[in-house]
Amino acid sequence: MIEHLSDAMLNALADDELSLERLETVQQHLETCQSCTAMALQHSRIKSATAKAGQRYAPSTDFQLRMMGQIRRNSSTPQLSRRPKETSLWPGTRFYGWATACVLLLIIATAPLIQIISKRFESVKPDFPAIVTEALDQHIASLAATAAPQVISSDRHTVKPWFQGKLPFSFNLPENLPPGTSLDGANLTYLHNRPAAQLLYSIGKHRVSVYLRQSSAPGTVARFTVQESGFQVARFSAGAIEGIAVSDVDPSRLADLVGLIIGAQTEIDKPSR
Amino acid sequence: MKLLPWKRDVRRSDTPTAEFESLALPLLPSLFNVAFWLSRDTHDAEDLVQETFLKALRGFGTFERGSNFKAWIFRILRNTFLTSRSGLAAMRTVSLEDELAQNDEFAQGQYPEGAIDRRTPELNLIQMGNREMLQSGMEQLSVPLLEVILLCDVEEMKYKDIALVLNIPIGTVMSRVARARAALRRVIEAQQTSSRRFTHD
Repeated sequence: MIEHLSDAMLNALADDELSLERLETVQQHLETCQSCTAMALQHSRIKSATAKAGQRYAPSTDFQLRMMGQIRRNSSTPQLSRRPKETSLWPGTRFYGWATACVLLLIIATAPLIQIISKRFESVKPDFPAIVTEALDQHIASLAATAAPQVISSDRHTVKPWFQGKLPFSFNLPENLPPGTSLDGANLTYLHNRPAAQLLYSIGKHRVSVYLRQSSAPGTVARFTVQESGFQVARFSAGAIEGIAVSDVDPSRLADLVGLIIGAQTEIDKPSR
Repeated sequence: MKLLPWKRDVRRSDTPTAEFESLALPLLPSLFNVAFWLSRDTHDAEDLVQETFLKALRGFGTFERGSNFKAWIFRILRNTFLTSRSGLAAMRTVSLEDELAQNDEFAQGQYPEGAIDRRTPELNLIQMGNREMLQSGMEQLSVPLLEVILLCDVEEMKYKDIALVLNIPIGTVMSRVARARAALRRVIEAQQTSSRRFTHD
């Protein structure tokens, strides 16, 4: 048994830099130490949040085109022409006119190619796995957390109004739940930096997190269920709301709950009792 | 002196530009993002990336095929930044001696257990959805700490590749990552405390 994990160890775990032997030792410790488990999850989530926050600046299309053109133009003599700017770190506007003409020609000639490249850049970090991972991490964090939900109630008429003023959308909760299923409470959380409701259910002794957030493109979210790290992760949409349900419960029972939540959204216009 | 992998042998390719283009262009957004974080200016970032591409294209013949191109070109970017006006100005503001002295301690395995704040869940850091607060926190980091955060978290580089980019031992990378994240947590906690005080007032 080792002592509490050091900061460096937690960082190495989040960065996937531990050797197999060390990883096994750490995992054994995490199985018995709730404090370190919570810290490990938090390190992982901070890393994830920092990664997103750090992706802040994007080059202009004009700059990308210019760089592409300059690389190709300088294939025989690797000498990139400078950006035309008097205050440049590297002044030099000698071939400004020719460079501008070449850039214009390249814009026309390479526009389709740029679109292809842009799509490739977009596909590097697709939304799907990231949001599934984020929802899964949050669910696991809520399992490990000792803190109570922000709203504790099995009454949907208590849970739903609690979100008034906290979320830029509204949703409905199913009134009749399947046998053995109960509403435990809810949290206000964020998925991909957008506010979301984390609804906490229990199916038997299995905990379920259902995340609801406003859909950025209603009707375009594909419904699917995947298994990730032993958990069932179901993604769905209902009107202007998209959701993700996470649990280690039997897939059919999770699907029943998801179906009821989707069905409840059709009552969104009806006033709550 | 041991040469870096891409400097060990000098080979010339008949068509280096096409290969360079296929390797370098997909990294353009990443290079620009890091360049902007370091220089904090659009024009300087563009100049930095342009100069990096120029140097990389010139030296592409010395790049060892099969080694890590991303680490190679990021190293060029970083070295170019350090010798630019904004880089020199930024590095002058950092007490590197203090930095390195503490890094040596970490490199010897003396990890600061005290750096772990096990109260952080109560500080609601787990709700890291506040991108602006994080970005503001990153802006306050010194260049040596910021660049390791960018390479490790944003670019998802492995420690050994970060060590190549920064030209420091892996142990120093580990300690610098720990210090950078601890510093970022402190900055954000200070922002949260300040924000709460402002709200209460």
